[in-house]
Amino acid sequence: MINSYYVQRTAQAIFTVFAVITITFVLIRQIPGGPTSYVRSQLAQQSGSVDMEQINTLVEAYTNVRPDEPLYVQYFNYITSVAQGDLGTSMYYSTPVSEIMAAAVPWTVFVMSVSLVLTFGIGISLGALTAYVEGSRFDVGLTLISIFLNSIPYYVLAIILVYALGYQLDWFPIGGLVGGDVTVGLNLGFIASAIYHAALPIASFVVTGFGIQALTMRGNSIRVLGEDYIRVARLRGIPPSEIALQYVGRNAILPMYTGMMISIGFMFGGSIIMEEIFAYPGVGYYMFRAISASDYPLMMGAFLIITIAVVLGIFVADLTYGKIDPRAGQGGNRESY
Amino acid sequence: MSDNSFTGRSEATKADVSAIQVDDPILEMRDASVTFDMDRGESRVLDQVNLDVQRNEILGVVGESGSGKSMFASALLDAVVDPGTLSGDITYHPDPDRSVDVLDLSPEQLRELRWEEISMVFQGAQSSFNPTTTIRDHFEETIEAHNYDMAQGMAHARELLEDLYLEPDRVLDAYPHELSGGMQQRALIALSLVLEPNVLVMDEPTAALDLLMQRSILSLLNDLQEKYDLTVVFITHDLPLVAGLADRLAVMYAFEFAEVGPADEIIRNPTHPYTRSLLKAVPNLDTPLQEMQPIEGMAPDPVDVPEGCSYHPRCPLADDVCRASNPAYHAVDDSDDHVAACFHWEQASDVLSLTTDGETEHAEIVGKQSADPVVSLTDVDVHFEQEADGGLLSIFDDPDLVHAVDDVSLDVYENDVVALVGESGCGKTTLGKTSIAAQRPTGGSVTYREQDVWDAKDGVGDVETPFEAIRRSLQMVHQDPGGSLNPNRKVQASLEAPLKHWNTGMDAEDRKERVFSMLEYVGMSPPEDYAGRYPHQLSGGEQQRVALIRALLMNPDLILADEAVSALDVSLRVEVMDLMLELQDVFDTSYLFISHNLSNARYFAGNAGGRIGVMYLGEIVEIGPAEEIIANPKHPYTKVLKWSTADLEVDQDVEEPPISSIDIPDPVDPPSGCRFHTRCPEAREACARQQPSLDEHASDDEHRVACFREYDQSHEYWESEPIDDGESTDLFADGSDAAEIESDD
Repeated sequence: MINSYYVQRTAQAIFTVFAVITITFVLIRQIPGGPTSYVRSQLAQQSGSVDMEQINTLVEAYTNVRPDEPLYVQYFNYITSVAQGDLGTSMYYSTPVSEIMAAAVPWTVFVMSVSLVLTFGIGISLGALTAYVEGSRFDVGLTLISIFLNSIPYYVLAIILVYALGYQLDWFPIGGLVGGDVTVGLNLGFIASAIYHAALPIASFVVTGFGIQALTMRGNSIRVLGEDYIRVARLRGIPPSEIALQYVGRNAILPMYTGMMISIGFMFGGSIIMEEIFAYPGVGYYMFRAISASDYPLMMGAFLIITIAVVLGIFVADLTYGKIDPRAGQGGNRESY
Repeated sequence: MSDNSFTGRSEATKADVSAIQVDDPILEMRDASVTFDMDRGESRVLDQVNLDVQRNEILGVVGESGSGKSMFASALLDAVVDPGTLSGDITYHPDPDRSVDVLDLSPEQLRELRWEEISMVFQGAQSSFNPTTTIRDHFEETIEAHNYDMAQGMAHARELLEDLYLEPDRVLDAYPHELSGGMQQRALIALSLVLEPNVLVMDEPTAALDLLMQRSILSLLNDLQEKYDLTVVFITHDLPLVAGLADRLAVMYAFEFAEVGPADEIIRNPTHPYTRSLLKAVPNLDTPLQEMQPIEGMAPDPVDVPEGCSYHPRCPLADDVCRASNPAYHAVDDSDDHVAACFHWEQASDVLSLTTDGETEHAEIVGKQSADPVVSLTDVDVHFEQEADGGLLSIFDDPDLVHAVDDVSLDVYENDVVALVGESGCGKTTLGKTSIAAQRPTGGSVTYREQDVWDAKDGVGDVETPFEAIRRSLQMVHQDPGGSLNPNRKVQASLEAPLKHWNTGMDAEDRKERVFSMLEYVGMSPPEDYAGRYPHQLSGGEQQRVALIRALLMNPDLILADEAVSALDVSLRVEVMDLMLELQDVFDTSYLFISHNLSNARYFAGNAGGRIGVMYLGEIVEIGPAEEIIANPKHPYTKVLKWSTADLEVDQDVEEPPISSIDIPDPVDPPSGCRFHTRCPEAREACARQQPSLDEHASDDEHRVACFREYDQSHEYWESEPIDDGESTDLFADGSDAAEIESDD
């Protein structure tokens, strides 16, 4: 017998990705007005005469699938090419999808990771602070603000920010990854320009996102503060700062860890609208473009990247949680006997 | 509480306050009160308590839950939780000539007093440790916080752990959850002693453990107290537990002390009516079954303590004087040591007689069980797979197999009572669940009225009784009554649910009628009132009654009562067990009663003429009629359990346990041969090689024992050499792997 937990989790992750590829394939084949008929109509418009063989070749070039082959051969070819990293060619940009994605992913990851760190950093600090002064005016005020900001949809805030700070005040750029005058590389100007351009998208994620984290952290901390081991630690004379970090902080943050990993996926999903609003060419931006242009290969490629990011986030959370919380990974399936 | 009773009380205590002073006090408590402001009034949870703690004594503080004994403990360290306020005087004498006013210390001085001078051990060891740091971190941060020398401190910690029969290296590197309940509690005791305090306050330190572990810890505590010159304040609800350990006993009732005196005096000559009732209410192994009776009534509400003597509503001796004014402490038998707060202390012994002579003949109680088994287990095994935890690299390791139940055969007859007794982790709960078809065995068969239960579930062969019917006939009452009732549903709804599901013929009116009559029957009247309550509005005893009714509404043939009375207060246990037995008569049901407490098992099974089965590491090692097992235990393990069930004997010192290892071996890898041989004081080499069985030896049918000592003289056991376990390290050598076992008690 093998250690089933890790094997199970790995198999689940692989299966999810595989299922997404399969659904992608089915969608390409079955959606009315799918890529095949799209290519066909394009050619018909261009040349007037429609040569079936030419259509099939073109469709294959774009989507890796030849419509005249048997279904299982098409499926096999599609899976093989995806496994090799060949996601087809964008019809809109006429560039391989993998190239577009390779250029876009780092920018999205950059915005996402900074947003994530800030959201949780601010949320956890404020939550812990309000828990310690539970019931004070600061606690009530901050809780109200957290709830208010959390109830604003991030895209509404994004539009307000881009309108006010971008168009009206002209403090921030209204699009693009970096300024045109910087050289790409690890130099100060480039990094500063990248941060400058990413500031508004990050701000709209963080301002609307930290509230719920602060509230969760506040609740967890208050629960931990009521635990017996806090009382025992105080009686033992452990310094308050150490109790706050080692006892309260650590035990209150642990339950939020999985949520943090899952929100990676949530943010990737949110990037579709966010990057469109800020004209920020990341994964979401291309996804949006692909949808409006019926660019199926690009759409599927972006979709696949987002799925893999979500699955990977949860998978890493599952595997590492046992390392972070010594209680996990042991007690779960313990029967009492 | 009115003002005049209040002043009357303080005058009375002041008048006679010298009575509870001692020669060389290490702690003096004067007029100490703890109050909480609540919406419905001031809650006074410690009421003008005056008590001295003698240097180097073990003081046992006994009281029911809600009597204020935990507040007394917290007050000694000025550690009353917010928003409680502590008033009065508490003086600590580090040595006879110096005194420290505990309530007048600066925060930094108080921080130094706690743990360095006065230390504390709490009830739940598991919840007293930070779950995400190792035991070593706990020791190190404590030593560091008090600026002690780290190397010296850790060396002391190791010594303490060894004194408590723990392996220092293994325990220090473990996380709290990796240790069994008994190990956690001992590690916590070591942690509280690491800064070498003078006073150790222990608040119910063993309440969550099974009896054998409790007694083992107590005997270790006795050694520690002598070795380190400690003064111990031991707080418990369990009078017999501390009777043998404590030098003095203080009985708490309604937030003050009712009686204080030397332990043997209190046990032999209890004077306060409450102490006498408490002694009668405790199930033990010597008192004849008919003699035990519960204390009527309920402990008072801290907001509304009765006027006059707070015990008068429950006291058989109460008269107008008791109702009008609060009694002062009276010295008993001209000795200043033993005092009782009662006007009628002279008559108490006549009215409430205690027959403590163990010579009374055990009345023969004949049960009504039939010859046909309701549930029959044959060669049942239950093995669990447990993941080897070694991270990613251990993917290809074999999972460990936990032998929770191994090859057990047991018949439960109609109207039968079988009590299963054993330590935590011995498999009694698993065996119980298997018997009521809540756990599928990995080997052997479980039959209900000759229908194989799991064949019925799987539809194998001819199914005479469908699984749903079997499921309905086998019910369960859990240990924690609060946890087994849905907190968001009223009693009425919880009780109606099974009727709705199974008795579709009943309309709403019938169901209501049925529920009301059942509530009335178990003494919860008016039923309309109780039916409309939520579980948190019921007391523990009432919740357990509701859980019992819910099981009985199914008209079951067998009820599994898994530690059903363990969570209840001592004075309530007898009452609930009586009710269960009474209901057995009415509903013709059988009980499988699980307990770690031999005296509860004896009371329950004995009163129904039932059997007691003793379990050890997944096997039944001895089974027989209840009184027979108690009076004449044959298996060494049963004798150990009997030892652990503290009698009300003060003379017997807390002796070394008749067992050679405190911790139970790991059920993943049970010892070869007789599983008990690693801990058995009678073990010989043959025991390590061969396994004794319940069936083969020449004992009568009723009382069966799996031990070679019951075999005839020709067995090789009698020829082989005793197993030498003279080395003290052996004490934990075999128990060292038991850490994985989580306590289910």
